[in-house]
Amino acid sequence: MLSSKGVDFSKILKRYDVELEVEATPEDMAKNLLPKDPVFRKVAEEVLYMRLKTIIPSVTEALKSKDPLSVINEGLVAGMEIVSKLYAQHVYYLPEIMMAAKTMEMGISLAEKQLEGGKRKTKANVIMHTAEGDVHDIGKNIAVIMTRAAGYEVFDMGKDVPVDDVVAKTVEVKPLFVSGTALMTTTMSAFPRIAAKYVEKKLNVPFMGCGGAVNREYSNSYDLGIYSDKAAQTPLIAEKLLAGYDWKRVREEWDVIVRGE
Amino acid sequence: MAVKRFTKMAYGSADELIFGRAKNPLSYGFGIQVGAGKVITEINYAPRPGTEKSPETLRREYVDYISKDCLDRAVSIGLPDLQLETEWISQMSESRISAPVVEGQKEITEKYHEEYGINTAVRHTIPDKRDTDHGMRVGMDKVNGGPEMLFESAEIACENGADVFSVESMGGKELADYAITNGDIVAFLFGVGYLGSLDMTYIWPQFVDICKKNNVIPGGDTNCSGANTSMFMAGGFLDNDVQRTFSAITRAIASARTVVAWECGAVGPDKDCGYEGPICKAIGGNPTAQEGKQCHCAHCDIQSNLMASTCDLWSNESVEYHPEFGGSSVQCWLATLGNEVMLMNTSIQLKQDKVLRDLYMYADRIRGPEAYILSYDHAYEIGKAITDNGNDLYLRAKAAGETAANIILEGYKSKELPLTKKQLDVLEDCIKKFEALPDNEDAFVEQCLEKYKDVPMFHPKNYGF
Repeated sequence: MLSSKGVDFSKILKRYDVELEVEATPEDMAKNLLPKDPVFRKVAEEVLYMRLKTIIPSVTEALKSKDPLSVINEGLVAGMEIVSKLYAQHVYYLPEIMMAAKTMEMGISLAEKQLEGGKRKTKANVIMHTAEGDVHDIGKNIAVIMTRAAGYEVFDMGKDVPVDDVVAKTVEVKPLFVSGTALMTTTMSAFPRIAAKYVEKKLNVPFMGCGGAVNREYSNSYDLGIYSDKAAQTPLIAEKLLAGYDWKRVREEWDVIVRGE
Repeated sequence: MAVKRFTKMAYGSADELIFGRAKNPLSYGFGIQVGAGKVITEINYAPRPGTEKSPETLRREYVDYISKDCLDRAVSIGLPDLQLETEWISQMSESRISAPVVEGQKEITEKYHEEYGINTAVRHTIPDKRDTDHGMRVGMDKVNGGPEMLFESAEIACENGADVFSVESMGGKELADYAITNGDIVAFLFGVGYLGSLDMTYIWPQFVDICKKNNVIPGGDTNCSGANTSMFMAGGFLDNDVQRTFSAITRAIASARTVVAWECGAVGPDKDCGYEGPICKAIGGNPTAQEGKQCHCAHCDIQSNLMASTCDLWSNESVEYHPEFGGSSVQCWLATLGNEVMLMNTSIQLKQDKVLRDLYMYADRIRGPEAYILSYDHAYEIGKAITDNGNDLYLRAKAAGETAANIILEGYKSKELPLTKKQLDVLEDCIKKFEALPDNEDAFVEQCLEKYKDVPMFHPKNYGF
């Protein structure tokens, strides 16, 4: 093997990941973001630090002095919102998002038992699936977790879902939007077929095309089509749809929306 | 065929590992020789959306456009050898759709061989559409017949003209997905290292029989759905959804699984997209296809040069067929692949190949932990850890992961390999988890069956439990 003695590797490459590392700890960054109320703060911290073992006793304790909806919104969801901010700042990464979401969901399930009707009101229904013929579903699974964590009722239809099943589910649950994920060029062609059926049935539902093989140009090439490049962008786009944006406006303002502005 | 586990390394030292030469060279197709003293170009492509609508349109796309374009450009730039790789789209599980493509590619590669003397071959990589919920072994899936479809696809490929057969098998994927998204290295070890190996031990003897019956080369497998997914999500310096220390370890574990194809009678060249090639070649001595800098058409890659240092076929990640200024996309990417191969082969002829190998290796060695463990000296060490425990599917995968983790840690401590604090934290967490594992297979399996029993789509019966 050639000797690398004396080689200046900085003349060859730059390790931007090391040089630009965020030095702040999650504790530092969360300090000013946590709720002031000590009861909600405790619950939010359980989510923030992914404490799967103590979330249940903490929520149980909080429910003794606070109403369940407040525990959900001002404790559990507030904690998850901080997690999302830390993820955006590259302090937290995907596993932290997944674990925090799991912690939050455990807490929500417990609090919901004390709610009238046994279920909190979510922001809207959303359908997610992996395209017909495609079994690559990891991206969809991440998007499901992130969108649920943002307060939506997500109907996860799984992988290799026939076009007609997606359309039937859309009629049934009247979602805010539907997303499809594809890793192959020849499975993403299911997306315009679904959108065409929506048009035919006069369903004004935005169809979000996502996944490794899919690009913005393709998702914007058919009526109702919108695009999400990464799972974390999906809740940002959902917020705008909830605020009344239609698919055309999402397309026009996409660059700004996905920056979280 | 009896399964023969690797308990000895094919190579006596890391320094023997080099591009273009393998211990067990192969000849196939129309004049192709791999691992026999020169590197071969292998191009991988994807058809345009919509072309799957009929057998005619798909055949035209694969044969008349993609294959012809590739062969034309190969001749235009003076390439002496070209291997095409068709990664089947899911619709090709139906014979009426796939058979015309396989036959057509055989015909056109023969035609160019006869007209121009270019050596040619086609690798067919079939899809694994088995559904874990419905069952992964023959007779289990009463809904879609996924396992039966897998072997039928192999027969279609082999009976209609494949020169090399490969698959990206999916055993253990449900655990791999869970492991990657939750940062759980033990789940990856169980899913890919252990269950994936069991699954390959089930499917590969059957593939080898089908290949032998049809005089087709049984190439090999790769852990695309695990190790490649992990690397894809680790991405470049602006990504880091998955920490690169984690993804590096997944690759080492996946190597212990990927060599199972060869243990079951496959002979190489194996598939490239899990990036296990340097380790597998060190173990088995069979030719390997590898990919690096020409993968940017599909994903970020920060071991772009290094991967060339031990390859026998130099390949790319699947590129969608579409027009570019310089011709079609496959022609442009083929030209960059082919010119790289010409450089490698020039170095062999000028007896400078070890110098070029080391230049490739040093260009990326410290770009990240993934490249670091795939440097041929470290790949050899990981291979040795696997063969030292070769008869035990659990212990060898664990040894591969642990060895990779310790190589990274030593590199960091010696100040050769920089790591972020987060990368180091994740690395130390993985090492701690490895150290806490039992030292025998039964205890490990018992522990994991309980711990991961609620992972979605995981059904132990798929693996013979």
